[in-house]
Amino acid sequence: MSESRARPSATNLSHRRSLHTQTTEEAPLSSPAPGHVPLRKQLKDEAKKAKAAGKKKKKKKNATNQVVPGWELTVGIEIHAQLNTAKKLFSEATTSFHDESNSHVAYFDLATPGSQPRFQKETLIPALRAALALNCDVQPVSRFDRKHYFHWDQPSGYQITQYYEPFARDGRILLQPRDGIAAEDGDGLAVRIQQVQMEQDTAKTMAQPGETHWVDFNRNGVPLIEIITRPDIHHPATAAALVRKVQILLNAVDACVSGMEAGGLRADVNVSVRRQSDDHPSDEPLGTRTEIKNLSSFKAVEDAIIAERDRQIAVLEAGGTIAGETRGWSIGATETRRLRGKEGEVDYRYMPDPDLLPVVVGDDLVAHLRGILGQLPDAEVDELTEVFGLTAKDALSLVALDGGARVEYFWRVVESLQAKLGSGSGNIANIAEHPTCFQLAANWILHELGRLTSNPHDASAQDLGFTPDGQCRRVPVDCLADIVVFLYRRRITAKVAKELLWVVYRGTVPAQYASVADAIETEKMWFHELSEEEYAELADQAVEGQEDIVSLFADFKQYPQGKLMFLVGRMMRLGYEERIDPKNAESTMRRLLEEKYVPALGGRQEES
Amino acid sequence: MRLAHPDGPRGPLHRDHRDADPGAAGRGALGKTNMDEFGMGTHSTHTPYGSVLGGSAVAVGLGHATVALGTDTGGSVRMPAAYTGTVGFKPSYGMLSRWGVVPYANSLDTVGLLAREVAPIQDIVHAVCMEHDPKDPTSLPATVRERCVSVRQYYLSSRRTQPPPPDLQSQGLRGLTFGLPIEYNIEELSPRIRDGWLQVADKIKEQGGRVVPVSLPSTKSALSAYYVIAPAEAASNLSKYDGIRYGKRASASAEDSSDALNGILYAKTRGEGFGPEVKRRILLGSYTLSAEAVDNYFKQAQRVRRLVRRDFDRVFRLSNPLLENEHDDDDDGSNKQQQQFDLSDMDESVPLESKLGPAQVDFLLCPTAPTTPPKLSDIAKQTPFDSYMNDVFTVPASLAGLPAISIPMALPKSEEDPVDFGGVQLIGQFWDDARLLAVAGHIRSKQQ
Repeated sequence: MSESRARPSATNLSHRRSLHTQTTEEAPLSSPAPGHVPLRKQLKDEAKKAKAAGKKKKKKKNATNQVVPGWELTVGIEIHAQLNTAKKLFSEATTSFHDESNSHVAYFDLATPGSQPRFQKETLIPALRAALALNCDVQPVSRFDRKHYFHWDQPSGYQITQYYEPFARDGRILLQPRDGIAAEDGDGLAVRIQQVQMEQDTAKTMAQPGETHWVDFNRNGVPLIEIITRPDIHHPATAAALVRKVQILLNAVDACVSGMEAGGLRADVNVSVRRQSDDHPSDEPLGTRTEIKNLSSFKAVEDAIIAERDRQIAVLEAGGTIAGETRGWSIGATETRRLRGKEGEVDYRYMPDPDLLPVVVGDDLVAHLRGILGQLPDAEVDELTEVFGLTAKDALSLVALDGGARVEYFWRVVESLQAKLGSGSGNIANIAEHPTCFQLAANWILHELGRLTSNPHDASAQDLGFTPDGQCRRVPVDCLADIVVFLYRRRITAKVAKELLWVVYRGTVPAQYASVADAIETEKMWFHELSEEEYAELADQAVEGQEDIVSLFADFKQYPQGKLMFLVGRMMRLGYEERIDPKNAESTMRRLLEEKYVPALGGRQEES
Repeated sequence: MRLAHPDGPRGPLHRDHRDADPGAAGRGALGKTNMDEFGMGTHSTHTPYGSVLGGSAVAVGLGHATVALGTDTGGSVRMPAAYTGTVGFKPSYGMLSRWGVVPYANSLDTVGLLAREVAPIQDIVHAVCMEHDPKDPTSLPATVRERCVSVRQYYLSSRRTQPPPPDLQSQGLRGLTFGLPIEYNIEELSPRIRDGWLQVADKIKEQGGRVVPVSLPSTKSALSAYYVIAPAEAASNLSKYDGIRYGKRASASAEDSSDALNGILYAKTRGEGFGPEVKRRILLGSYTLSAEAVDNYFKQAQRVRRLVRRDFDRVFRLSNPLLENEHDDDDDGSNKQQQQFDLSDMDESVPLESKLGPAQVDFLLCPTAPTTPPKLSDIAKQTPFDSYMNDVFTVPASLAGLPAISIPMALPKSEEDPVDFGGVQLIGQFWDDARLLAVAGHIRSKQQ
């Protein structure tokens, strides 16, 4: 995160600019380019702010702060996402994120005089996939324009983008309650997308101690898409939900490299408010909007919108007017801050790039990409809940985790389970016949796998090593499916299953044992369950001398489940734990209490 | 063959060249010559070390070089040729690779050729006209070159698709029609240049060619459009000279340790680095692209540019091979048939050939520059507008991407002006370069 792509904040602006010049704090930012705010500095600023705020009243919880009575909030969002491409947008330099600085730079990336852009048409593929996932109309002809502004991370003095004729228009994103929208948005809403355009990323600035800044041109010219929504959002939580949904969608169609947490996605929000009365719901024109730039987390999106909404309302209620300006936000802040006003706005002087030909996209390409797009997250979540009986929460987690890799892993495990449950020789099992087995698998993939990496003291254990195509380095698909099937078939106990998962995770399978089955066999971990008689015998032993407890089952207002479990616990301790299924032990104990032990008590009482 | 090329700020930087480079086709580079800063100027006076390509033109004229390379954006090869009595050729846009050329206005820039005669230029064009350069995105793809050549004569590879072209030596210019654009008979045209131009027209008639008046109604707006589009692209291109990477850095003064001016980064450096003509064009270009002016200037100029091209497409007998595949050309449509002239645009002195309009021509014939070369002392007196006016005849072909060549013409003797030559320009339809050069060579040979 030290590679934060945060745009410059007012506090460090003068600091950055003093590299080559001295300017006052008030000087307008000459560029909207994403700059660099080191995370450490951000955290320090936040701590300072928190301290300054001191014992001020606590912030309201966001969930109860979605609406201000008498006012309507309107939000439009611009999202920038790095495309998953091998090459830069206009040069054959490869895209790289961790290689040595300035090692992937072509003449054109440095704006060397005499060099020319060469559109890398392969970059269109992920861009088109993104457009399709966002339900956009792909334009048969689009063009590139130059957007002029001055900044050291922009060596040509302009960014090539698609201003006049973007490659995709008129999309929509459906948001449902499960996506985390505000309760006020009810059953859901559709947010329209105005356009999606391709453009170049800028170079990366890396702050060094003192006043030195290094510039890494590896990132310069890396392809981005910018997604621009219509102002269809009226609640802060819904705005955050939209950004999250876009990230999930882009991941699902493999259009993007990384999400917000890794700096691969960032959002700018346009916020305005207008008065609203019950009589005239919204006949007033939209209020003057401000733009908050470079939000780098979902929470920042929601918090910044709430803060900006409240600031605008306070200004208007005090009789003031809202200036159309650009504002900034730092994590944990309570207020947005002014970056530059209208007078400081850069006139981008958009001009069609005279070196670049129009991009012509054939219907056949669009149809082909649509055909191989695969299932989108909403349909996938529907399938997970309807076919596999997962809760909406679990289904959403599964789809969102590891940039979509986790759910791919699930599908591979499902495939493997179907083969293992089938009657052999290529027959696969019907999911409907074994519903609990697949639920078990989902549960393990979500929760048990999560436990493996939850040790905060072992950094090397933090990564399960998922690949986008659904493989997992640490817990191979086949191993997990074996464990799940053995557990489902009660060939092993849950306890053994969990132990086996660690064995796989640590690499003992396959290093020491050829397979999960081999490990169970070698270590004699198969579950040889007690017979009905053996359970009964064990129960008899467990109640010996426990007449006081047993008597509680004779007459009760509420069934003494706790006491039942106490007796089951005694069975487990008395017998061979590895041969006992706690459920069966429980049902045996319950049955015998009813049929045998309690009646026996009665008999004794009568005798006495 | 000895080759001169300007190697100031517009000279090629990259020498990892390919066959399509005219300079690499087995020819040695002679040296670097003189030019205007970033090629902005007409008279080679705007230089810290004195057109554009004035230095290369002089080197060719003096016989120091056989062929000189230069960029022609709005006439920067043809104009110096006219002023020095040499031959200057601007090829069809997209024929010669621009890779390595420091761009002035990319949509207009072409690599042009200067020589004393037409023949060495023809040799180069024949050698490289089929070479697509993948490094230049505006270099025409091989398939399009094939298509263009298949509908043109005098290319070596046209023989497969075209009947053998007339032998000019034996047949003269019979069968060819030359148009005199009546809108080019402007107030600023010097009477001697006009006389020289008409004499060339008479020579062409003697050779059996037909000469007819034609109308190019958008001519008057073309110069204005050029001086909107070219500075806009130039201002954009020059924004990379931002003071961070290239050249000088303004020195800090005692009270201010930075090179900022009024809080704007690098302002001093940028202010000191550019000459007055370059600054003027940056300001002009930045203004015409600004949010408040872009509709009335830049976008309007693009519309004028389409009209200029339509003018040419209507008067030429050959159709523009690029248009046949163009789907998005809103105002043109098909050009396969002769287009109906809007007679209200057209000067009434142009006779009609048929109900569709006046005669269609093979080439346009006009002066290259409206005057003989001015003296340095006169240039000093000119306003920038006066000097922009010199480009009025060369700019239309640039806007339309058409091939054009300036060859010397004799002028009537004058007591005030010792210069007894000027330049006459032939303009052809797109990719008609080979025939244009052949015909220009023939006219040139009959002048001597």
